[in-house]
Amino acid sequence: MTAIAASQQSRLGRVMKAIGILPVVLIITCILLALYEPRFLRTSNLINVLRNASFLAIISAGQMLVIIVGGFDISVGAIVALTSVSTALSMVGLSTIGIESAPLIVLLGCLAGLVPALVVGIVNGFFVSVMKISPFMVTIGTMTMAAGIAGYVTGGTPIYDMPELFTREIGRGRFLELPYIVYAAAIVLLALWYMQTQTRLGRYFYAVGGNEKASRLSGLNTRKYIWLAYILSALLAGIVGIFLTARVGSGEATLGSTLMLESISVAVIGGVALKGGVGRIQMVALSAIFLSVLSNGMSLARIDSKYHIIIIGLVIIIAVAAESYRENRRSRHV
Amino acid sequence: MSEKTQAYGIDLRAVAPHLLLPLAILGVVAVFAMLQPAMLSADNAVNIMKQSSLFFFVACAQLVVIITRGFDLSVGATVSLVSVASSMAMTALLPSIGAGASIFVGVVLGLLIGAAIGAVNGALVAYGRINPFVVTLATMSVFTGVATTISGGFPIFNLPDAFTFAFNQMTILLLPIPLVIAGLVAFALHFSLTRTVHGRVLYVLGDSNEVAHVGGRRVKEHLFLAYVTSGVLASVAGLLMTAQTGSGEPNLGTSLVLSSIAAAVIGGASLRGGTGGISAPVYGSLLIVCLSIGMNLQQINGSLQPVVIGAILVFGAALDAYRTKSR
Repeated sequence: MTAIAASQQSRLGRVMKAIGILPVVLIITCILLALYEPRFLRTSNLINVLRNASFLAIISAGQMLVIIVGGFDISVGAIVALTSVSTALSMVGLSTIGIESAPLIVLLGCLAGLVPALVVGIVNGFFVSVMKISPFMVTIGTMTMAAGIAGYVTGGTPIYDMPELFTREIGRGRFLELPYIVYAAAIVLLALWYMQTQTRLGRYFYAVGGNEKASRLSGLNTRKYIWLAYILSALLAGIVGIFLTARVGSGEATLGSTLMLESISVAVIGGVALKGGVGRIQMVALSAIFLSVLSNGMSLARIDSKYHIIIIGLVIIIAVAAESYRENRRSRHV
Repeated sequence: MSEKTQAYGIDLRAVAPHLLLPLAILGVVAVFAMLQPAMLSADNAVNIMKQSSLFFFVACAQLVVIITRGFDLSVGATVSLVSVASSMAMTALLPSIGAGASIFVGVVLGLLIGAAIGAVNGALVAYGRINPFVVTLATMSVFTGVATTISGGFPIFNLPDAFTFAFNQMTILLLPIPLVIAGLVAFALHFSLTRTVHGRVLYVLGDSNEVAHVGGRRVKEHLFLAYVTSGVLASVAGLLMTAQTGSGEPNLGTSLVLSSIAAAVIGGASLRGGTGGISAPVYGSLLIVCLSIGMNLQQINGSLQPVVIGAILVFGAALDAYRTKSR
């Protein structure tokens, strides 16, 4: 009797270890929400949740890459704001110099808009990988600089007058009922999943984060991979910035202010270990959905938005406490 | 490359910590004084003294945990919550128990809140063995939320006049009161960091966690205590800043997190732990306050000021990396 119970328990334990506790918590949260608040299951609401989760998943995927190589990216939120401003400015600029075709303006505007994000990523990566400065300091520095520049350029007023194609079609348009950002997120997630599991590049990221010295001694150019992770993170944040700008319909220097905290929360809840070398994109995606469901639920239950950050803070503490508890138990067994 | 830096790193290293920062501060003051003579006026001197004393406390709060190779991102949230909570206590109690007693309750409550936040951080970091960055990021989020929730997001006015007088305007032998308190705290902190076992354990802890454990001290308790100290120091800053602004503000500390870390690191505390004395927050806070007051006098656009601070932060961190390499 006890033996059967024990074996069942261990099987359950094995399953739990393989998939983790997050999917279970997510399903329970969804069921409770659906029972408590039937509006949760409306199609429009579910699409809303999916849209927010897509924004979160893209930016957190970048955060995950950086954390895997043993760093942090505090500047992602500021990159979103900077990209928003630069995209809007370049579209307005392109139309004033006489370019007529809207698709061309949108395309060039988005590409030009990504340039500042790319620059921030290159700067972050340079200081962290070549100069060996604490990633925390570097990215908090570039965060303030990026946010300051975005605020200075706009002077605090949003930038309007972008092509309709951008604000209406890309921002609010849908394909097969789903907003475009969902497809963008799916492509990003698939690409990263492929990179992490099927390519050498993905394995190198893990190797560098797991043990930088060992990777360097075995011939990896560790600087290159660390640098690359910061650039990718900045570009993904830039993509989120473009889509958010299209969604709100104006270039704003305050866009994305909460995304830094949220992206780190999503990564941490998704089991990305802060010591580097661990983290899977599937779990990060699940975790982004979880956080979106949670804040959607709080909004539906009319919980004041001031409480949201309290609850998200508590969820982070619980998630990392659980993680460190598991870690301590594992190290005791070995 | 590394040989070269080592060759003249020795000279620089011996001199730099003692001369570089005072010179930098004097340089900043001199540059702004040339641009704006008002920089050197008596009023502005008092202003610099007051502002840097206030800022000194958050920089100290940061220093205590940076020594242990930690962080405290929640100092800003502590400042905000203390400001709001003690203001509410004072204004609520003022009619019934009078100014003196209500100020006393408000101050004690503020210090207790600081200690409690520090205890939460310390328990999770020391006993829960969770990364201090994540812990204090989460508590920052939680306590900022609490501060805006209990105040409803609005400032709290009508503080007792005696409070703003006693904690901001009063002077002792011509010195403004925040400076006097800062001096006392600096002395106490310097003593505890250099002359007590607790202080030594913190430095060893920052150097190497294993060594600290092998040393046989109750390392966790010391680490816990470092976060409590940090919380209390941040709450002192919160009380003094509340007296300065004359109202309880739910976003009083928002901008402090970044600049407090910048001040400690520019002053010479390494993020790799184990280094940095009381001179770090003194120099760091003076430098940053002189810069921001100078930029205000020069009427530099408000959104560009963080750009300068951010650049200094990266520069300070580069200096830190250079120092560590040459060691």
